[in-house]
Amino acid sequence: MQDMKNLSRRGFVSISGRAGLTTLVASAVGVNLGLIEVVSAATSGKVTPFRFAMISDSHLFSIDDHKFDGMMADAVDQVMAMKPLPDFVIYGGDIAQNGRDDQLKKGIKILSKLTMPLKVIPGEHDWYLDMGEAWRGHFGKPTWSFDHKGVHFIGMNSILVRDFWTKAGLTPEQRMGVMEMLESPIAGPWGVREEQLEWLKKDTKGLRPDTPVVVFTHSPLWDYYPRWNFQTEDAPEIREILSKFDRVMSYHGHVHQTVYNKIGNMSSVGALSTSWPWPYPDVKLEYPDMRMNRSDPGNIRDGEGAQYIDLEANFQGTMHYDPFNDDMLKPAIKDGFKV
Amino acid sequence: MQEKTMQQASPDSSVRASTRRSAKACAAAALLAAGAAMALLMTGSTSAREPFTPEELAEQQKALLAVVDHGRDLWHGSLPSMSTNGLACGNCHPDAAASNPQTFPKYQADLGKVIALREMINWCIQVPQGGKPLDVSGDDMVAMEAYAFNLYRGEAIAPGLASQQTSPIVVKSGVGYPKKGSGIGYDKGTGLGSDK
Repeated sequence: MQDMKNLSRRGFVSISGRAGLTTLVASAVGVNLGLIEVVSAATSGKVTPFRFAMISDSHLFSIDDHKFDGMMADAVDQVMAMKPLPDFVIYGGDIAQNGRDDQLKKGIKILSKLTMPLKVIPGEHDWYLDMGEAWRGHFGKPTWSFDHKGVHFIGMNSILVRDFWTKAGLTPEQRMGVMEMLESPIAGPWGVREEQLEWLKKDTKGLRPDTPVVVFTHSPLWDYYPRWNFQTEDAPEIREILSKFDRVMSYHGHVHQTVYNKIGNMSSVGALSTSWPWPYPDVKLEYPDMRMNRSDPGNIRDGEGAQYIDLEANFQGTMHYDPFNDDMLKPAIKDGFKV
Repeated sequence: MQEKTMQQASPDSSVRASTRRSAKACAAAALLAAGAAMALLMTGSTSAREPFTPEELAEQQKALLAVVDHGRDLWHGSLPSMSTNGLACGNCHPDAAASNPQTFPKYQADLGKVIALREMINWCIQVPQGGKPLDVSGDDMVAMEAYAFNLYRGEAIAPGLASQQTSPIVVKSGVGYPKKGSGIGYDKGTGLGSDK
């Protein structure tokens, strides 16, 4: 585990000042992702109030001046305009569209405008061209945890599917193509798999039940709509491991929409993308008021944006969607909601 | 040839007539001039009369699903001219969700008039995707419509208001169309893709 205090803006900037900006931001991010192992004591259960922000699903193409570049940059600008500024930013996966290194590098350059630490988890679009090689080169391990102001934060790679490509003799590009299609019947459900489940058990073993825990994954930790992988196959095991805690918050990308759910001790919130909105699948939601309005197809910026979460002393959280276009939010979520 | 015939004679009766004809007849018709082909379709009207034999129905279904399958590929980016920015219809409309084909023709606020689904498809190709529109009466457009409508078949008609999300048909993995099984992963060659 690693303490966020080691990732102060000063430290981040000092790293950034030693080499070219793109490389340096990646280096700083690498430090964030567990290259320095710091053993921290179990938290006290009390939170020093703070804010963190989330940007997700930018789906950058290998096309110069693509519209998604500017929308990701707009989300970064919105985060930098927040008052107060967030202590750190989590990126929820799918920086790239086709997993290409130039797409990841473009995203890193855009994200380099953030002056606070950045934590990153992968999405399937980042991963399946080279099985995460380029992604890990930039960001390090996809599985990490750290403590910050009394909260234990966890990030995991939830988009691991079973090998469908080796026996079929697929090229990396064909494999990526399968994974790019949301409703592809080939890849099947994804999850974090055994190794990360074991890691999660060890990571949380010494923590007291009253420890505030926040977990980040690309996909939701509940069966929302498996056909589109709006799920994590081993989410029940994750929830079981985390069931010893009084309260757990889960934040995820992939769904490109506002969505909220609560199962047991875990609340779950989906992030807006910065690229395009997915439609709501035909699922009866427990909290339908949390859905956003249907996007205007004539307005490319309608239905996307950033978000931030304010955590209070008693580990109460308030989720704020920060869309590009304010009137996409329904009254129940327009001014933030408790998670 | 079959798709071309469908393009030339789009009314349902003509489509059914064309699908009932044997493959041999289709091949022969391909050699005819356009006017002669149309005449053949018109004079073949008795073959469109129900009841159809199981074999005839299977042939018709096969022809339809071949077009649906082509539409599914187009929907997911198989024709490069449909996009200049990498986006395909499936980016915003997986399983044709939220395309609400059964609600067309309808008033489209962005355009200020009542339009057909094919006009909406071309709008999406040109604006969000920055691509070249399809021929509104061409095979590719028919295939796009066939894919969308096939997934919504049986859905109650409801207005597709921009302020209200209408629901797509729920399809189990791979059963919305008889995509030939790839034999890999969860798509184990049954053609259904859901036999995990």
